[in-house]
Amino acid sequence: MLEYVIAKYNYWVYVILMMIGLYAMMGKRNLVKKLIGMNIFQTSIILFYVSIGVKKGGATVPILEGHGHGGHQAVDVATILNPLPHVLMLTAIVVSIATTGVALAALILIYRRYGTLEEDEIIAARRAAAAPKAKDQAS
Amino acid sequence: MKIMPLKMVAFAAVVLTGALLLYGVEDMPAWGDPQSPANTHVSPRYIENAIPDTATPNIVTAVLADYRGYDTLGETTVIFTAGIACLYILRRPRNQRRKERD
Repeated sequence: MLEYVIAKYNYWVYVILMMIGLYAMMGKRNLVKKLIGMNIFQTSIILFYVSIGVKKGGATVPILEGHGHGGHQAVDVATILNPLPHVLMLTAIVVSIATTGVALAALILIYRRYGTLEEDEIIAARRAAAAPKAKDQAS
Repeated sequence: MKIMPLKMVAFAAVVLTGALLLYGVEDMPAWGDPQSPANTHVSPRYIENAIPDTATPNIVTAVLADYRGYDTLGETTVIFTAGIACLYILRRPRNQRRKERD
């Protein structure tokens, strides 16, 4: 069992991180904690993608030195890391920053309106506000 | 204590999803395998052609700004939209501002 885990332990790390984020998103009642859970989730995906680009056996970062203008010698693919996951994760980081910013702004608005960021208190406040209206309609 | 069953449901769902993902790990390539699918299909083409095509030593920059230039343009649109959305969300309405001034 332990050998089975160690053989691909990197994936176990991502899965556990991702599940921590997923549980924070579903199980926590504080909206800021839910947002942090979403960030943990995104970070685990970024780690997963960056690890896909790794090549063992002496590969270095995808910057070609001494290959500038003029020098058109062939590049050995095995010595350069896979650059595509890095590029995709640059985009993913930008999107995660954008969603986090908009979500934090929305949380400020929620706090201004309800005076709390606890989900159950907000639901109770909304129910209390809706209850008299329902009574009027019934009578 | 009334919330507890809901948290149990969330925990069960998380454990179920995690077990499913760990079951899928079995088919993933080993860490750092140069022959893994992600490292063999399209990425060698980018590594070999980056200098002849774009004359940029940094391959990440070459892919981001040259091969996927329109994707980066869309990315800046995302940032711009997020900034505008933040401004609209955080802005106080004009009549409210007038009330505060008076």
